[in-house]
Amino acid sequence: MHVILTSDLTKIYEKRYIALNALNLRVEKGSVFGLVGPNGAGKSTTFRILLGLERPTAGHVTVLGEPMTAERADIRRRIGFLPANPSFPRYMTPISYLEFTGSVLGLPGERAKIQLARLLQAVDLTAAASQRIGGFSTGMLTRLGIAAALMNDPELLILDEPTSGLDPAGRKQTIELIRELSGRDRTIIIATHILGDVERVCTDVGIISSGRLIYSGPMAEMWRLARQGTISVEIEGNTAAFEQQIPTLDELGSVRYERLGSEFRITFLGTEPLPEYVERVLQLVDRTGVDLLHINTGADEIEEAFLRRLEEDRTRGFLRAAAWAATQDIARRGASPNGSETSDAGIPGHPAV
Amino acid sequence: MQAFLAILRYDVEQLTRSWVTRVWILLLVVPALFLVAVAANEKELASETMAAYIAAVLAPFSALAVAVIASSAVSGEASIIADSIMSRSVTRTEYISAKIIARMGFTLAVYLAVMIPFAYLIIRYAAADTSIAGVVAGVLMVALLLAFLAAFGLTMSTLLSNVLMAVLAVLLVIVLSGVVLQFLGLTWMSTTAVIEALPRTFRGQSSSWDVARVIVVFPSLTAASLFTSIWVFRRKDL
Repeated sequence: MHVILTSDLTKIYEKRYIALNALNLRVEKGSVFGLVGPNGAGKSTTFRILLGLERPTAGHVTVLGEPMTAERADIRRRIGFLPANPSFPRYMTPISYLEFTGSVLGLPGERAKIQLARLLQAVDLTAAASQRIGGFSTGMLTRLGIAAALMNDPELLILDEPTSGLDPAGRKQTIELIRELSGRDRTIIIATHILGDVERVCTDVGIISSGRLIYSGPMAEMWRLARQGTISVEIEGNTAAFEQQIPTLDELGSVRYERLGSEFRITFLGTEPLPEYVERVLQLVDRTGVDLLHINTGADEIEEAFLRRLEEDRTRGFLRAAAWAATQDIARRGASPNGSETSDAGIPGHPAV
Repeated sequence: MQAFLAILRYDVEQLTRSWVTRVWILLLVVPALFLVAVAANEKELASETMAAYIAAVLAPFSALAVAVIASSAVSGEASIIADSIMSRSVTRTEYISAKIIARMGFTLAVYLAVMIPFAYLIIRYAAADTSIAGVVAGVLMVALLLAFLAAFGLTMSTLLSNVLMAVLAVLLVIVLSGVVLQFLGLTWMSTTAVIEALPRTFRGQSSSWDVARVIVVFPSLTAASLFTSIWVFRRKDL
């Protein structure tokens, strides 16, 4: 079941700025979905539309199986939201603010009090519970925002940059809290530009660039794409012989490498599985008699995979537009290009979302 | 309903903490007490004293205070609305209705809390020349003017995202309205005309038509303003 489903979601501000460009986002129930993208990519706009705070210029949004609009308070009651750089009434204390949040959410007074005491402890704000929010640090505000987002024990938790402005300890604590909150039929969607956070907690990932989802799929698939065909070896001895024979590891022109001192980063452009390429590299090490110091198949970090997707997206503008038009044409004729599912067509390596 | 009441309580709390409110009440109460003392000693006419108080003290200070209080209702907490309130289980209608009731109710409560004891003391200690019906009509007419001002401020607050711009827009409209209404031949609708007629109204000498006209037109304008506020806020991106 899809907890979030958007179809060609488009947001244009004052006929000047395109914030979302036919965004098709699907988030499965129970998943921890990381929405990754550079600043200004449209992550926060997506969230604001998902919550009914902004109206889409075009397209449709379904949240928890219902169309979301500004007046759908009943759906928002099932959602917890942490905005980026949250703002709170400065004169309130965490206790009075969470009590207010509880009232707004329609929680009975006693239940709200139990919940707020539990949450203030969970986010480590018990000691500051009686202080005015106006004097809080960024980290404390974020933690209070997390507590407020959890007041209604939501089915869907939307976190916009939950670790920004936090010190390393606060960041670790937040990540652990998100891990704890995941599962139990709760869906979490996190927007961030910190890929390390996504790697640690997310089961699925979507990459958004210029208001468009350019990749969406399981985290494991992202890892596979990140590691696809790149092997890093550090050797000692007759490195010249090794270097000379690297092009023979696969068909002509399908092997690229770069040398950084004693380290060789070999990229295979072919379609063989990675273990096959690893075996060939080890055979070459054996053949040339060099000493193997280190071998790594995960050297191509997820950041690089992310940047590569962005770069691919930038260079495929017209092709993408044509592919999208073709998709629409097929859809109009009553069939999806991928059978029952749709995808952001024209993106290499893009699985059906 | 619980969300509506929570926002209403939160907004009234904010208003009672506001320095604008505290200064406004102080600026209304101190001159009122002074005028009561003077009127009692000098045996001034009650109708003239009350009208002078409204013209010189209550109208200018209240116009400024109500412009700030009403114009900051929505625009003054732009980020908090989205982050802390509207992202929870609150509808747009619930939020704006709570704001309208809080801001207009607070404005009228402060006005009546000052004006009713003041009118009572003036009638009691100054030279009595007023009629009960006239005083009620006069106090009601000023209340309707303030209510319209608050409603107009709320409309500006939903239309403009900057508090200062919203306050300036309200004050500009107050200043320019006299000229525009005169040009349109509707001088009786101007604040100045209503205030100038107050001594006669307090004495019960104003025609029923003049009083009825104000009592019908200003609530209609207030209703139109409030309808616009709700309509705009329900369609606004937060």
